[in-house]
Amino acid sequence: MYDLQLTAEQLEFRDAVRDFVTREVQPAAIDPKRLEPFEKPLMTELLDQLSQMGLRGLAMPEVAGGAGADLLTCCVLLEEIAAGDVDLAMVLGETAVLARAVHEAMNDTQRKRWLPKFEASERFHLALIARDENAEIGWSYHHAVPADADVIGAPEVVAERDGKGWTLNGLAPFVSNAPVAGLFIVQAKIADGPGTVTVLIGSDAKGLSIDDELPAFGGGGERARWHHGAVAAVTLKNCKVGEDDVLAADAAHRLLQSGLIARRMVQTAAVNVGVARAAYEAAVDYAKIRWQGGAYIVQHQAIGMKLADVAIQIEAARALTLKAAWITDHPEAVGDRSVNDLPWHVVARTFTAQSLHRATLEATECFGAMGVMRDMPLQKYVHDTLVLQHSADCDLAAPLVVAEAVAGYSRN
Amino acid sequence: MDFSLNEEQRHWQTEARRFADEEVRPMSLARDQIADPRATFDWEIIKRGSQLGFRTLAVPKEWGGHEADFVTQTLVMIELARGDSSVSKTFSQCWKWSHLVAASCTKDQKERFLKPFMEDDGYLLGKGGTEANAGSDNRMPPENDPKAGWKLRAERDGDDWILNGSKMFIANGSVAKLFFVDARTNPDVGIRQGSTMFIIPKDTPGFRIGKVFNKRGWRFYQNGELIFENCRIPGTNVMGEVNGGVKARANDKSEFGDIELAANALGICEDAVGMAMHFAKNYKRAGKLVIDHQLVQLKLNEMYMLTEALRAFVLRTAWERDRKLPDFGNNVLVMNYSQEVVQRVTKANMEIHGPEGCMMHARVDKLLRDALVWTHLAGDTVQRVKVVKRLPDMPLAM
Repeated sequence: MYDLQLTAEQLEFRDAVRDFVTREVQPAAIDPKRLEPFEKPLMTELLDQLSQMGLRGLAMPEVAGGAGADLLTCCVLLEEIAAGDVDLAMVLGETAVLARAVHEAMNDTQRKRWLPKFEASERFHLALIARDENAEIGWSYHHAVPADADVIGAPEVVAERDGKGWTLNGLAPFVSNAPVAGLFIVQAKIADGPGTVTVLIGSDAKGLSIDDELPAFGGGGERARWHHGAVAAVTLKNCKVGEDDVLAADAAHRLLQSGLIARRMVQTAAVNVGVARAAYEAAVDYAKIRWQGGAYIVQHQAIGMKLADVAIQIEAARALTLKAAWITDHPEAVGDRSVNDLPWHVVARTFTAQSLHRATLEATECFGAMGVMRDMPLQKYVHDTLVLQHSADCDLAAPLVVAEAVAGYSRN
Repeated sequence: MDFSLNEEQRHWQTEARRFADEEVRPMSLARDQIADPRATFDWEIIKRGSQLGFRTLAVPKEWGGHEADFVTQTLVMIELARGDSSVSKTFSQCWKWSHLVAASCTKDQKERFLKPFMEDDGYLLGKGGTEANAGSDNRMPPENDPKAGWKLRAERDGDDWILNGSKMFIANGSVAKLFFVDARTNPDVGIRQGSTMFIIPKDTPGFRIGKVFNKRGWRFYQNGELIFENCRIPGTNVMGEVNGGVKARANDKSEFGDIELAANALGICEDAVGMAMHFAKNYKRAGKLVIDHQLVQLKLNEMYMLTEALRAFVLRTAWERDRKLPDFGNNVLVMNYSQEVVQRVTKANMEIHGPEGCMMHARVDKLLRDALVWTHLAGDTVQRVKVVKRLPDMPLAM
């Protein structure tokens, strides 16, 4: 049964995170000194403290030192973090989703080598360099993806045989978590043959270099950074990887094909809910203290309607996000026809992105001119929800994946 | 019906388009990306635009201005805003108050203030109403609360007035040489009965500029805090009558401020439409041109449809004002409408451009940020509710 009553354990964890976010994260995140500048460096001390609470290894099995949380629990917690700071939520969500997947894909030797490093430092995060075959797939609606379809910014990494290992060369222009990663999971195209190889590379490996984080405005001012979390370009130059750090082909295939991207998308939807919630809570608080028109503005129908609409949008988005998470945790519910067979991650991600941008704008309207001032957080929340509508997994064409599912179209 | 422009209107439109394309647009992004809100302003572009007549466009010919009609003003705002929305607003802010000066100032005041305004390419105008705790209340004072609205106090001292208090978010705040400031001269009654408008030069002792506000959009445009500490203003600087500040403003029938926002929004929409079309025709997704995807065709259709509807509405409203037809609310309605249009069109532009890895085209980003400003300026609920009083009288046949 689909059940949204959280267990005592889940509630305790959520409340601990909520409490920390309210006390520590949010005040730091919305400090005007942080809000006003274009550059917002990752709040690494708070990240470390959240990591110490177990959020990096949230989805890893308990035997591996993780919390063994299902996707629904991850979503509940990520919403809490995002209500404080979207960047911290995205970094932790990325590490959590990758830790679960890579732990599963590693063999025992690899786990013995990398797990202690992961456990030894809360600053050890994970990053993935791989081509997402489903990125922008909606643009190929009801068609095979053309060979020349190029996703801007997708990594180009090539691996050449080097004895029993590989030598990697290439560039990944936008790698989430690159500035904080201790371990990179890198998928490379095999130079002289078909297929790919997936390897593990430590951030201190020779031949791997991480650029500075992207500036707010790049490309001679023609490009604005639209990204959450921490992102940087990664270059691989004759980076040698030993046989031990190559993931088994079937494990690598599972890592990249069996729902990693889908999990990440559901988590992103939860982060989106957190951002909108922060805007909503700010609007409710403000509407209760702002006096105009002979009343607290919360007492005016016009503001009441906005707050109601925002509350409804957030609840609908959260319901869909948690449902998508629950179905991911219970794939049998699709098998026995309890729920429709849909790409739920796309359903949740696209609905959330669209409805919560609108909700955040409405919350901002409650603030009048204060809503656009950079020393106030509302304008940032609006921007954050726009950025969440803008990525390879959520663009104009993304919902078409749902239409393909409905129509029964299959590329394979 | 005749929608054609006359020669003068076409002339100004062409001049504004050239200035926007050749001089405004090339500096627009760089100014937008300056972090310090005090440093985003560029006097050179203002002086250059002033030399071309854009600062004094609305001033009556009698005082040396161009006395452009409202349709012309609208056309110029659209063109300038296509170059940069906030540069356009900096110029049109001056027209707004030159309407007021022409309508409500005495001959002596016009000599003292309109003349230097005409002669100095760097002479900008500002107006102070909003305060920290008086926003919506200024525009729609509640009947049950006479204390609502601005609090800035002006007390009589002989023939002079002494002002104490502060104003917030004031347009052209850090760059204007002359301000029109609303103050309470009778605190016991509502602002409609108890306010006076004062004309205050920037260098008046006791008057200074505080904070310059740091906004997400319209970064070139300067919004400042005005601080008055025992600021002495001569009685000859009262605009209109004492306790008649709201009436002084009402003498200006142009309702220009509303058309202004709608016209400016239209310029942003034109910019967004042009960018989206250019992108769609030149870039590919999934192996075919972006414009060849139905999704994008529908988005482009929506963008053009909304933009053209806004154009028709705003030019019709300007035309009504030129003919001095009774104003039953179209000026407000078109302003309200512009909020929704500018936000939808700039967002559609974002959707058509789509992601470039972790980056977004900086001008697409800027247009979205500029459009955000309309949230409270043009379409907030106070504006929407306030106009309803006038709607029952609107003739259906217009």
